[in-house]
Amino acid sequence: MTDHRIWDPFVRAFHWSVAAGFLANALLIEDDSKLHEWVGYAILTLLGLRILWGFIGPKSARFSSFWPTRTGVTEQLSDLATRRRKAHLGHTPLGALMILNLFLSLLAIGLTGWMMTTNTFWGVEWVEEAHEALVTWAEISVVLHVAAVIWESWRTGVNLPQAMITGTKRVPDDVKLVP
Amino acid sequence: MTVAFKTDKPQALIALIAVQSLCAAFFLWDVVNDLGPNGLRALANLHIAIEALAALALVSAIVYETRALMALLRRKAHLENQVSIAAGAFHDIMLDHFQNWGLTAAEQDVAGFTIKGLSIAEIADLRGSAEGTVKSQLNAIYRKAGVPGRGALLGLLVDDLMNAPLTSEKPLQKEAS
Repeated sequence: MTDHRIWDPFVRAFHWSVAAGFLANALLIEDDSKLHEWVGYAILTLLGLRILWGFIGPKSARFSSFWPTRTGVTEQLSDLATRRRKAHLGHTPLGALMILNLFLSLLAIGLTGWMMTTNTFWGVEWVEEAHEALVTWAEISVVLHVAAVIWESWRTGVNLPQAMITGTKRVPDDVKLVP
Repeated sequence: MTVAFKTDKPQALIALIAVQSLCAAFFLWDVVNDLGPNGLRALANLHIAIEALAALALVSAIVYETRALMALLRRKAHLENQVSIAAGAFHDIMLDHFQNWGLTAAEQDVAGFTIKGLSIAEIADLRGSAEGTVKSQLNAIYRKAGVPGRGALLGLLVDDLMNAPLTSEKPLQKEAS
């Protein structure tokens, strides 16, 4: 086993607070309540900070280090097709696609949610429908994300949930690391 | 000719699968909404039943395409930078045998490497697995192929290559590969 420090404290705090906020707002908190609005704004603020962090933060947090490319995606799919056990230290290309999908979905959910509070769009049907459809899409994405994390952890032997808590990836010695 | 397909980039297929998955997700969501409080009894409605069937057909198409994509990627994983007809023909014979023997995806990869002459340690390094894993995979390959070892395995394939026409359509090749 080799330990690699990879996720800085802000990335980890962002991940878990956005996850908690989204689940709370989607499943627990009353839709019409003030709390629902405040949790939504908190998630938007966190997203804004995370995107800024993607430009000025440490290397593994930067978009430039994990922006998905077509070759990267094809290579990861080839590893899956041939059952080769290769691990990425940062985000995998497919994982990065999911990250971008979740960022954009959450931004759009926040935007439509805020629009519902404005005089112009209050009570406008398509805004509310879009808000709800986007939440359904984000919920499906979260389920896929969790399933993919479990699968990738099993496939590579790197405990990914643990790495997002401790910030350190423990990589088994025989696993090949993708640079 | 299958040669055009060989050099094909898998990216078009990946994009197609992605778009169709989005459509399938939408149609399935729509069907689930239509089922509503009536549950499966709503399928008695002809329109909803047809919608459900169409959605399921789309899902099975995606499953089929994904399998084809995985086969294409496995093929390309051992065929980078090989453009000669002989290399292509040998590769086709190899894959055809692998499928007949019922090798798993991992075993196909290991077999491809061992036929190229790589050692167990090299294969383990390339595949990011333990040497013991590669050894047991090799044993499974030899058992399924009914040969005692690497030499005999290679012999089987070379024997077929000698008999196979190089320039015409290859009778051994399957379209899905």
